[in-house]
This record gives sequence, C-alpha cells and structure tokens, in this order.
Amino acid sequence: MLKLNNVEVAYLNAIRVLHGVSLNVEEGSVVAILGANGAGKSTTLKAISGLLHVEEGEVTDGNIEWNGKRIDGKSAEEIGKLGIIQALEGRRVFEHLTTEENLLVGAYQRSDRRAVKEDLDMVYGYFPLLKDRRHNTAGYLSGGEQQMLVIGRAMMATPKLMMLDEPSLGLAPRLVEEIYHIIERFNIEHKTSVLLVEQNVRIALSIAQYGYVMENGRVVLDGTADFLKNNEDVKEFYIGLSAMGKKKSYREVKHYKRRKRWL
Amino acid sequence: MDELLQFAITGVTVGMVYSLIALGFVLIWKSSGVANLALGQLVLLSSWFTYGMLVQAGLPLWLGFPLVILFSLALGWMIERFILRPLIAQPILSLITVTLGVAYFIEGAVSFIWPKSVAALPRIFPQEVVRIGTAVVSQEYLWAAAISLVLFILLSLYFKYNKMGVVMRATADDQLAIQACGIPVTKIFSRSWMLACMLAAIGGILMSSIGGITFGLAETGLKAFSVVILGGLDSFLGAILAGPIIGLAESLGGGYLTPLTWPGIREVIPFIIIIIVMFVKPYGLFGEPRIERI
Repeated sequence: MLKLNNVEVAYLNAIRVLHGVSLNVEEGSVVAILGANGAGKSTTLKAISGLLHVEEGEVTDGNIEWNGKRIDGKSAEEIGKLGIIQALEGRRVFEHLTTEENLLVGAYQRSDRRAVKEDLDMVYGYFPLLKDRRHNTAGYLSGGEQQMLVIGRAMMATPKLMMLDEPSLGLAPRLVEEIYHIIERFNIEHKTSVLLVEQNVRIALSIAQYGYVMENGRVVLDGTADFLKNNEDVKEFYIGLSAMGKKKSYREVKHYKRRKRWL
Repeated sequence: MDELLQFAITGVTVGMVYSLIALGFVLIWKSSGVANLALGQLVLLSSWFTYGMLVQAGLPLWLGFPLVILFSLALGWMIERFILRPLIAQPILSLITVTLGVAYFIEGAVSFIWPKSVAALPRIFPQEVVRIGTAVVSQEYLWAAAISLVLFILLSLYFKYNKMGVVMRATADDQLAIQACGIPVTKIFSRSWMLACMLAAIGGILMSSIGGITFGLAETGLKAFSVVILGGLDSFLGAILAGPIIGLAESLGGGYLTPLTWPGIREVIPFIIIIIVMFVKPYGLFGEPRIERI
C-alpha cells in the first residue's frame, strides 16, 4: 500500500539525512521503524506526510508510492486527503482548546457531521479517560492523556494509514502498555494500517508484524517481528539482553565492543 | 458632572470601534504569529475607498457598503497571498517588517489617489441627537457601539462553534500539528487576513462617519495597537474590554487635562497606559500566559 524506494532526504539542500531508505507497509498491517536518536526515523515519517517542506527539507532522490501513485512532492494537505495522517512526536495538543475541540480539529477534512459525531464516541470508547476530560483545556491534561488525545485526534481523520511518532515517549510503562493495546485494537477493528516510530523496541515489536531498524539514515536490518525479537544484535543493542537472555551488565562489555558497526 | 457623562459615552463608544479594529490584529497574531503593523493604514485605505464609492462614484449606500466589504476581503486575500505567503518559513521579523512595508505602500498609494487631505462621508446614520441623561450624543456614536457589539457577538460565536473558527484557534497553538492533521494552514492565514481587513474596513467606516476622513485615521491603528497591548496580544476578550478603557481614558484625559496641560495630550494617553501595563502585566490584562506543565 505504501512503498518507499531508495528515498533520500536533504535539509536546506545541504544536509543529507536519509541515504536511500526503502520500506513497505501492507494494507492493515502494523509496521515499526526502530532505532536510536537521530537515525532518521522522524524524517522518514515527515517525508511521507509531506511535512518536510515546512522545515526546508526535500526528497532529493527515490520515490514514495501510495497505492501505486507517487506522492512525494505533494503537500501535507493533499497527503492528508489521501488518508495518511501523522501524529507528531512530543504530544503536540492544541493547548488552549478543550479536549473535544482538539478531536474535532482532527476531523476538519470531513463534512459528514453524523459520522464525525459517531467517531467522537468511538474515540471516547477507546479512551474513556478523554471522555471525562472532554471539556477540560488540553494544555492542562496529564502527559498520558495528551498522548491519548493526539492519537485520538489522528483517529478522528479516519486515516487509512496512521503514522505515530514515538507514542511511548516520556510515559510510565503501564501507560505505554495501555496505549499500545489501544493502537492494536484500533488496527484490528478498523483495518487501519499503522506505521510506528519507536525507540522502545520491545513494546513496538509486541504489536508490529514487521520492523525496520534504522541507523544513520539507512535501514540496516529488517524482518518480521519474530525475526527481529530473536535477532542477537537487536537483542543486544536495542533490548538490552545478552545472548544468553540475561540482563546485561555493562561492566562486562569491553568498551570497543559496545557499539556494533552495521555497514 | 454633565461633561463627565458626555466624555464617558463618547469615549466608550469610540473605544468599542478601537476594539473592533484591534480584533483584526489579534486574529492575525493568533493564527500566524505575525504582528500586523499596517492596521491603521488598512483603516485609512478602506475609509477613502468608501469615500470613493459613495461620494466620487455616487453609489447608493446599499451598493456602496457591500462593495467596500468585498474590497476589504479581496485586499486581505491579496496581502496574504502575494506578500506574506512567499515569506512563510522565513524569520518572523521579516514577516512583521513586510507588514510595515505594506503600511507605507498603502499610505503612499492613498495620498496618490486621493490627494485631498480631508473629506467627509455622506451622513449614514440619522442626524437627530440623542439625549442620555444630561449628555447630548450624536447618533453616530451609538450606532458605532451597537454595530461593534453585534460584531463582537458574531465573532465569538464563530470562534467557539464554527469549524473554521475552532481551527483558527488551534493554528494559534501549533501550526505544525495543524498541518499534520492534513489541514492547509495557508487557507487559515488567508481567512484571518480577510477577516482582519474586513474589521478594519468596518472600523474605518464607523470612525470616519464620526470624525470625517483624514490622514489621522492611520493613527487609529496605533490606538488599536495600544488596545491590543492592554488587553493581551492573544486575547479576544482582552481586546473587546480594553478598547472602551483606552477610549475612556483618551476622552476623559483629553477633556479634563487639555485645559491644564497642553493640547494633544489625548493622543499621548493611550501610550502612557501601554507603558504602565507593560510594567505591571507584561501579558496584558487578559493575555494567555503560556501553558507549561511541570
């Protein structure tokens, strides 16, 4: 459904951040992009959603296809209309609006009021906490509630592909589990494809069917979730388990062995 | 005592027109973060345009006013489309400075097209004066107040319940997130410039029906500016309430202090208020302090 072929991205025509990224999202699947800070995960999402222009970034090579048609070079608005909706990193709610107004902004593109109303109830069904806070100012919600609101807002657009940028960032483990559980339910119940960007590899692979590991603007490893979960390198560098499956002690790791070079 | 009521009524009503113009400023500031320094010049231009329509072209009121409104909407659209949009993603200072350029351009264009320095609009409102208690008020003031009040109500309903209005407020909070929702921000900027120019035009008509058309109308922009600073840059309520306060201060101060000090003191009063407000409440009376969760 979504296909990236050798996408290169440069900011300001000078700083190349993606060096040929290829990935694939099948209809109705959950795909995770994993990796450390600065690997180019968020840039990949922005290249898809058309938000690069805002930051003076540009897809300089390769192409992005949506159901066989090229969408790189389209504006964020056109891509949004196609049903690709991104929830930005860092819980960016509209602070001075109420919870409900935030959700309605997400449904801006839609004109069928009844369906919007139903979807509002659907989002409240997934996130009952938000229903209690529906008339509260979003800026004063707790971090977990704000993250729920951002995901709920993306749901309100009835996306075909929902792209979530680090939904676990800065949240308590229990909340992370809860939010991921809801994302999984939404994916199953609505057949919405989900493209996740995550640093929390364990939780991301718990719901994703396929994953890509990125480093320095390249995809260095990809495979099914089971393959990645059992991959020694992923275990060692991202999940923090040694080959034996024990918790790793950094004292035992020799300094030069700490970081593996992939390429 | 008689004077007091008189000053109060004219002050509050003129202040409400200031509020109206100030709302246009707040609108653009909130949605795009641009301080529109051409506010007064927009008031000036639309007043002269009204003069052109009603007096020079001799159009009847029912045709003239809609044309002025259309003109102001088109003007707002053009300013956004051709001057501000190419500058999107440039430093905010460039955007603010370009509005200053627009201001001077309009001022020059106006004095080029209408070289006369003063003119009067035909009387729009009934001529009889109204007596309120001991005060004698000409009807223009009351009409101005009433029209402003109706527009305040319409605008607040628009921002609370209209989809576009809510999205405009959301844009004020986070432009990138708006784009991530697939909403075209440029459309919102354009809409807010159109609305602001329309408010400036209505304000201009009301001001010039009270005091005639002069180049001094450009200074209304500065008055509206002081209204905005007193009320808080990003607060609609602030702009609505601060307008009458500035108007009142101006009219009372002008009335009572001029004999004691020097003529022209009334022009200074709004700015004295700005300075005091900035010391005491830097966000303005109703400005939203940034929401920070700790």
